[in-house]
Amino acid sequence: MTPHQERTGPGAVPAQAAFLPAPEGTKKAVTDFLKTLMDQGGLDALLVPVEVPDTPFHAWVMVKKSEVLDKAHPLPPVMSVQGGRALSSLTKHGTPWLHIAAVMRPCEARAAVELAKLKQVRLDNVVLITIDCPGALPLAEYVADPEKGQERYKTVADTWHENEFLRPACARCHRFSLTGLEDGPSEGPAPDDAPASVDIHIGLLGEDQNGILLLPVTPSGAEILKKTGLEADRPTAGWESRVRDLLKKKKEKRQAAHEEFRKDITGLDRFLTVFDPCINCHNCMNVCPVCYCQQCYFDTQTQFCTSSVYMDRARKRGALRFPPDPLLFHLGRMSHMVLSCVSCGACEDACPVSIPVGKVFSWVADETQPAFGYSAGTDRGDPLPLQNFLKEEFCEIETPSACGQAQSTEVKENA
Amino acid sequence: MSDAYNPRIVGFLCNWCAYTGADLAGVSRARVSSSLHAIRVMCSGRIDPLYVIMAYLKGADGVMGMGCHPGDCHYLKGNYNARRRFVMLESIFKTLGLDGKRIGLWWVSASEGKRFAQVTNEFTELMKTKGPNPFREEMFI
Repeated sequence: MTPHQERTGPGAVPAQAAFLPAPEGTKKAVTDFLKTLMDQGGLDALLVPVEVPDTPFHAWVMVKKSEVLDKAHPLPPVMSVQGGRALSSLTKHGTPWLHIAAVMRPCEARAAVELAKLKQVRLDNVVLITIDCPGALPLAEYVADPEKGQERYKTVADTWHENEFLRPACARCHRFSLTGLEDGPSEGPAPDDAPASVDIHIGLLGEDQNGILLLPVTPSGAEILKKTGLEADRPTAGWESRVRDLLKKKKEKRQAAHEEFRKDITGLDRFLTVFDPCINCHNCMNVCPVCYCQQCYFDTQTQFCTSSVYMDRARKRGALRFPPDPLLFHLGRMSHMVLSCVSCGACEDACPVSIPVGKVFSWVADETQPAFGYSAGTDRGDPLPLQNFLKEEFCEIETPSACGQAQSTEVKENA
Repeated sequence: MSDAYNPRIVGFLCNWCAYTGADLAGVSRARVSSSLHAIRVMCSGRIDPLYVIMAYLKGADGVMGMGCHPGDCHYLKGNYNARRRFVMLESIFKTLGLDGKRIGLWWVSASEGKRFAQVTNEFTELMKTKGPNPFREEMFI
């Protein structure tokens, strides 16, 4: 590829982590850890999914009370509201004056990092905590039969991504653990200055299944862990190799799924059939964490022409579909957000007619983000591809090429 | 007039370079293909990728983006941004199996009237050989 910004390479995996025994299961241990964080970690509140009483659902709640934390868990059976969106609604209009921690799935944390770059989230006073995620269930199925869903979800945590009940986005997810691990060096310690997207990571895949690992990823994360009195003395190598093994398998699975999908979708006719059932509800856009515009072009009247224009167009084409341009909505949205797509699958969950929106978008994202050496949400210090450029790059796209004419200097925009 | 297919090409021309270049081409009586439908934008960085996709889906045979040579942007860095947008567009087109050769980015300065005529005519010839955009006849998009 053409010269682009050299990636500093995230993937700072701390060599040692704190260990919390889990005699009553990992769920209880995670809850205990959250309580310890609140009591001794110097935090004022936690933003975490909490069980809504008498319903099978979780909601994002900012919690201070310890008894509410009993019902909190960062891995609810379904992802009803994307955590990045929840954090955005909390911090969009100013840095929180409380020192809070947001405990989320890795895809949600990646969305939060992307939103921070888009000035929709402020991470100044927020500690991001992620957890090894076994995946979630399809929202529609869970809503139809929550009891069955809860039964199914119990099996999900045991099988780690080999579960038939997982939603498609999770079944082919290869970024379910510490963000950056999938792109980082496979061996050897990461450089000290390697930027990370999260502060603390909760490892469930450790060698010792009778406990959870608490990885201090950033210095501020390490400081908080220190305050809680948990000694970081367990080596993380076993956890890392287990995660990497699973990552490798999942990556292959993902690539195979994309290849298969490529055959299904490429070409004009087939491409159209994928989006044909679209009912123009814009749910995919409304739930997408990185679709943040206050006023979307596709929600305005600007996109509609006068009827004479449509008559004219229909006459020339022979026929015209109404309301016009459903495909333009999807491709237009894609051109606006695909470089920030974190493959969370929220769009797919929200689609009432089961269009594999997430599949298309995450596939295009996987093909497009690497062109800029970018991986959405992985690295807080990596500027958005469209807010950054080199004077000499991508020579093949322009005529005449500007490469080789001037000394290459990097110019970064202070957005 | 020959019977050859006459394509329709939408061009987004930067006000400061390509649009003035097009004007110069006219003043100096260069032959410019009539296929080009020029839309003036204030900067090539103003070309929202949505515009390109919209033109393509609505049946334009080709979409040209034209801006100042790198380093000459009136707004200092708009054309660098445009270049990255076109890289993204090309990648999206390629992935989805659409014809990425139907879109392109050219640098044409205000003094390059001849060059403006030349690249426009070349692109028109290329689109002639490609034939109509398949989306032109598609009614379900």
